[in-house]
Amino acid sequence: MTGFTAAMWAEVLKTVRSKVPWLAALGISLAPLMGGVFMLILKDPAWARRFGLVSAKAQISAGAADWPTYFSLLAQAVAVGGLIVFALIAVWVFGREYTDRTVADLLALPTSRVVIVIAKFVVVTTLSTMLAALVYALGLVTGGVVGLPGWSLWLAACAAGRLMATAGLTVVLITPFAWAASAGRGYLPPVGAVFLVLFLSQVIAALGWGAYFPWSVPALYSGVAGSELQELSLGSCLLVMLTGVLGVAGTLTWWWLADQP
Amino acid sequence: MDRAILTSGLTKRYGHRTAVDRLSLQVRKGEIYGFLGLNGAGKTTTIRLLLGMIRPSEGSAWVFGVRVYPGALELWSRVGYLVETPGAYPELTVRENLEVFRRLRRVADPKAVERAIERLGLGPYADRRAVTLSLGNRQRLGLAKALLHDPDLLILDEPMNGLDPAGIVEIRALLQELVHQRGVTVFMSSHLLGEVARIATRIGVMHEGRLIQELGTEELVRRCRRWLVVDARDRRAARAILEAAGFSVDSGENGELVVTGDHAIACPDDVARLLLERNMCLTRLSVEQEDLESYFLRLIGVAPGGER
Repeated sequence: MTGFTAAMWAEVLKTVRSKVPWLAALGISLAPLMGGVFMLILKDPAWARRFGLVSAKAQISAGAADWPTYFSLLAQAVAVGGLIVFALIAVWVFGREYTDRTVADLLALPTSRVVIVIAKFVVVTTLSTMLAALVYALGLVTGGVVGLPGWSLWLAACAAGRLMATAGLTVVLITPFAWAASAGRGYLPPVGAVFLVLFLSQVIAALGWGAYFPWSVPALYSGVAGSELQELSLGSCLLVMLTGVLGVAGTLTWWWLADQP
Repeated sequence: MDRAILTSGLTKRYGHRTAVDRLSLQVRKGEIYGFLGLNGAGKTTTIRLLLGMIRPSEGSAWVFGVRVYPGALELWSRVGYLVETPGAYPELTVRENLEVFRRLRRVADPKAVERAIERLGLGPYADRRAVTLSLGNRQRLGLAKALLHDPDLLILDEPMNGLDPAGIVEIRALLQELVHQRGVTVFMSSHLLGEVARIATRIGVMHEGRLIQELGTEELVRRCRRWLVVDARDRRAARAILEAAGFSVDSGENGELVVTGDHAIACPDDVARLLLERNMCLTRLSVEQEDLESYFLRLIGVAPGGER
């Protein structure tokens, strides 16, 4: 067994035994289900009027009740909700070692700290990708149950690509929170950072500068700014990649060089 | 090379505070080195420096001749350690916690986990989740992790913490067995001088980041002050007789006579004879020794009540 296999085995066991992934799945499952409720309201306005304000709000944010709109909603949910849920997973995977005081046990082993950090990132990425896939799968079932019009296999494939690409961008952007959990030695500082970044991403996107703020980019790409989906500019793409690389490098450097508790 | 640990001018500063100040020590292979000090003396910081968990501000540390740094992977396979209160993954069982570290420690033999469980008496708790363990059993789990790979060197920070008296005796016996039968070197910190004196072959005393004394356990015991306590029906007369004979006499807390000097301690029978010849009725005669805690506090300049 190589060091990486051992580290992966350990991380997977810790993840499987924990309630956190299940709670994350439950949390992110609300997105397609709530989207389905909006679609239901939009599809049958007479029935929806009985819901008063909820109906009015659904009209404003969602537009038409069809598959393209619903798929767009799902991608936006992954961009915004995913930023929170995926980031919290990263915070948990890294921060727990400090909160459970197990980090000291990981620092002087024949398995390198670098390998352990990489295994953690692999688990965060895999889990986040699975959650994005869960959103899509639940979306397909929910949309089918609601009976949305406008279905085509091509549309479903394109929507899957868009959703998974949005999830990919979001996953890349959560790496700095792994560093924050390590440097902050626990959960609270990085959780604060997650919500601060989420707030800033909304404000900066609303001001029209979202393409220059990495954490606004996935939401813009998912089409949150309008009904038309936006293509990713090279600059935005590079900004996201640079943020991801800095997050990974920062976390690795922290585990390797910083004084540990 | 018979040295397991060697440090040279090892210093760690946090801003203006010096946690460890130019520490130079040597621990020979097969030795149990007791590292003593009050809370905040720099013991845990030293242990972290020895394990590459923190970087020295100055100086360096070598373990088995290898300079300590985080990437010394070969070295870490020979070292088992326990730093402060041991942590554990709360949702994993005791067995799973150990299995995680068996793999990360690259121990090929799967039976190593069962051996560690048996060695530390964790059998009844093996399938319990770590979150349900008592402090003492968490400590045992921490020690099991340290021993999992049969290390050549054990670096233990307060290993007796949280253990009940039976547990302390058991762990003491286990460490002695490892040293005597397998030639393992033990470097253990503690603030319990009596406990360390029972097990250590050599003791280093840390105070305010500095190693202020290093000596063998026998030497430590020898350096503790001794005196002869004498009590008689007529204390005043007894004191006068002893002083007239050239003995140095003080009064104890309850008015008893405290006689110091090598001759009085070596030959208390001479003192007794002297007093009996003068028809003194003796009610007490005993050679007493300063306890280790008092010696330790005297060494670091702290009065038993806590005043410096």
